[in-house]
Amino acid sequence: MAATNTSAPAKDIPVKKKPKVVPKTASERIADKIYWVLRLGIVANVVMLFFPAFNPARISGLINKNLSLFTCGVSYNSIVANFGRALRQQWVQASSFQELRWIALLVVFAVVVAAAGGCMSLGSNKLKKLGCIVSFAGGVIEFFAMLGIRGVYNDVVAQARETGRLKNISPMLPFINKVYLAFAVGIAALSLVVFFLIPRLEKNAKFEMEPRFQLFLMMLPIIAFAFVFSYLPLYGWRYAFFDYKSGETLSMEKFVGFKWFTSLFQNAATRRDMLTVLKNTLAMSGLGILTSWLPMAFAIFLSEIKNLTFRRFVQTFTTIPNFISWVLVYAIAIAIFSTDGFINTMINSLNNGGAAATTNYLQNDDHMWLKMLAWGTWKGVGWSAIIYIAAISGIDQGLYEAATVDGAGRFAKMWYISVPELIPTYCVLLLMSIANILTNGMDQYLVFSNAMNRESIQVLDLYVYNLGIGSGLIPLSTVIGMVKSVISVTLLFAANGVSKAIRGESIV
Amino acid sequence: MAEEIHLTLKEKRAEKKYFKEHKSHVKPTFGDVVFNILNYLFFGLFTLSCLFPFYYIFINTISSNEYINKGAITLLPKGLTLYNYIQMGRVNDLWNSVLVTFIRTFLGTALMVFASALAGYLVTKKEMWHRKFWYRFLVITMYFNAGLIPWYLNMAMLGLTDSFAAYIIPGIVSPYNIILVKTYIESIPGEIEESAYMDGASYWTIFHKIIWPLSKPILATIAIFGAVGHWNSFQDSLILNANSPELYTLQHRLYIYLNQSSNLAAMVNSSTSSADTAALANMMSTKTIQYTISMVTIIPILCVYPFMQRYFEKGLMLGAVKG
Repeated sequence: MAATNTSAPAKDIPVKKKPKVVPKTASERIADKIYWVLRLGIVANVVMLFFPAFNPARISGLINKNLSLFTCGVSYNSIVANFGRALRQQWVQASSFQELRWIALLVVFAVVVAAAGGCMSLGSNKLKKLGCIVSFAGGVIEFFAMLGIRGVYNDVVAQARETGRLKNISPMLPFINKVYLAFAVGIAALSLVVFFLIPRLEKNAKFEMEPRFQLFLMMLPIIAFAFVFSYLPLYGWRYAFFDYKSGETLSMEKFVGFKWFTSLFQNAATRRDMLTVLKNTLAMSGLGILTSWLPMAFAIFLSEIKNLTFRRFVQTFTTIPNFISWVLVYAIAIAIFSTDGFINTMINSLNNGGAAATTNYLQNDDHMWLKMLAWGTWKGVGWSAIIYIAAISGIDQGLYEAATVDGAGRFAKMWYISVPELIPTYCVLLLMSIANILTNGMDQYLVFSNAMNRESIQVLDLYVYNLGIGSGLIPLSTVIGMVKSVISVTLLFAANGVSKAIRGESIV
Repeated sequence: MAEEIHLTLKEKRAEKKYFKEHKSHVKPTFGDVVFNILNYLFFGLFTLSCLFPFYYIFINTISSNEYINKGAITLLPKGLTLYNYIQMGRVNDLWNSVLVTFIRTFLGTALMVFASALAGYLVTKKEMWHRKFWYRFLVITMYFNAGLIPWYLNMAMLGLTDSFAAYIIPGIVSPYNIILVKTYIESIPGEIEESAYMDGASYWTIFHKIIWPLSKPILATIAIFGAVGHWNSFQDSLILNANSPELYTLQHRLYIYLNQSSNLAAMVNSSTSSADTAALANMMSTKTIQYTISMVTIIPILCVYPFMQRYFEKGLMLGAVKG
């Protein structure tokens, strides 16, 4: 905690001046310690909102175990997803669950209020006092909301007992409900304690906060988003260790340790699939790496074109494919190569009266790797070349002039001047593509895959999708994803190490 | 801004110089002529291959279905008509997807740009509490990925399946764009901000009165990239909103139509009430439906692209600086 207590600056003194440091009183120091408990508690409470394991609103066995309190508050439908029959037959009243939803939302609101109070605790004493009141209010609201959940629970029990369907509804009051109550009481109590520990305010006290905490609080929402969408998914890795089927609930009985990891190698069917998939992945990435010089060549040859209008024209239109989605690329593929696409139409119109050409070039398995490479190149080469084009325009023209004087021809100049100047850029991109060798992306292969080419088009990303989303084999696909992530990160750092060793510059 | 103009001028001058010198004293040899012809031919053909598919799809959508079904459209449209577009206009699914995609593109891009600008500004402030740690916390997320399935399960846990919010919220914080903005803001002279701070401006005031207007060029760049990304996005709709057809994005809709348009042909054609032969001949086939939707999907990008190319290229170069 900051050991400063800003006194209010008079109007004519620039804010930048260091505020006078007022020594803290003993009670303030105790308050600071309690604050840490309070803040940690509030953060824990916020996090708990998002974890299904800590859902105090799960008052019936029928409520999905994978619902967090936050989700309950946001969507009524998710609460009653499994209640179709129970609601239709009036075993329980829909209104109770509506109530439950609004109470869940109230809890979320209460925790947000408490968190706002916690944020204010980073400010001056006046702000701290206000923050205490706010988080006290949050705690109290949360407390009553928890009592509300108990009330709804009692209602549901009464309704179910009346209709004799207690077993079907299996009402329960999760233990976490008590934990929430404890949190609510704790937050309210600690806020009150701190409120009285902070010394009486001076007359000219102001709401203010040190710059470092102001900045941090402005940053906080962004940090929270990054946490929720980039770090929280890692929590999903736990599925790799359970026997889990989509829609089921996760419990310790289903813990299977490394079963799925070993099944990757021991199960014959999985092993065969994995081998094919890895072969495809490495082949397509490998072809990509082997042809990664194409954009450089494209740029070098393009710079040989002296007509600026034409060059600009080429540059503009060869970059367009990069900005359309793979679905659209597939639409183009259909327009050109399918049974009644351009190629067949053209052949038929030239060969009037002959046998109609009806080859569907997309529905076969020939040279799939090369075809995918060709589509990828068509889509990306113009765009990738731009970076080299810019680099070429930065090359010292004197080099070319000197070479011309020495009698170097066009190709000699390309090979001995342009290429060496572009190699550093190329190396960085090459290292990146080696680090990404297991990541081909899914879109391209998904849109082009069909019954005929399934075997030779399935890359790792697509396999994970087909396995996890398509077949619902969540643990196995999680395992594959995990292994892939770990290998990719390792490769990236290896590539970075290589880059540092060779060029003295890091690429990440 | 000034720097940018200066650079392009310099580039142009260099190009002109290069052009002049190479023209002035070299008399083209036979080899040069052959090389030039081949070079122009190659680039001409490649550019054509990038343009022709769009043209081909386009002429098929504005031709009469009578000719299309006969396979008579090769290089020129025949029997000009807007029938296909009018017919497709009656398909509510399509309009719904167009609307969803437009809204997500605008909303998603706006929020992403705002968050990137704010975060980019904040991470340049050295006085922030544990700035380095938080900056790394953000940047590291670019290099690891929990994987598709954990990501999906996480979104499901957060209740972001079968909801429009699933398109917007996960994309708000984009570490790559934050780095781009940060790099740009660092190039703005610090004195401007300093003097405002001395005058008592808060960080927020400095951000929206000074930093925001000054970093507009970079914000435009990331906005364009973000918008194209949103327009083209397909995976989130496919995976998260599979059970909510009313939330399908345009790309997802196109994907579905590309894969199963025979039902669709029946649907579109059944809305044509008259059953006389002329109307039957003019009915839309699977093919024309696919083409028309492709055109609807691509037109916004083709319209915007030529004007925005500058920004795209600049964005690429900025990214390259960072590696």
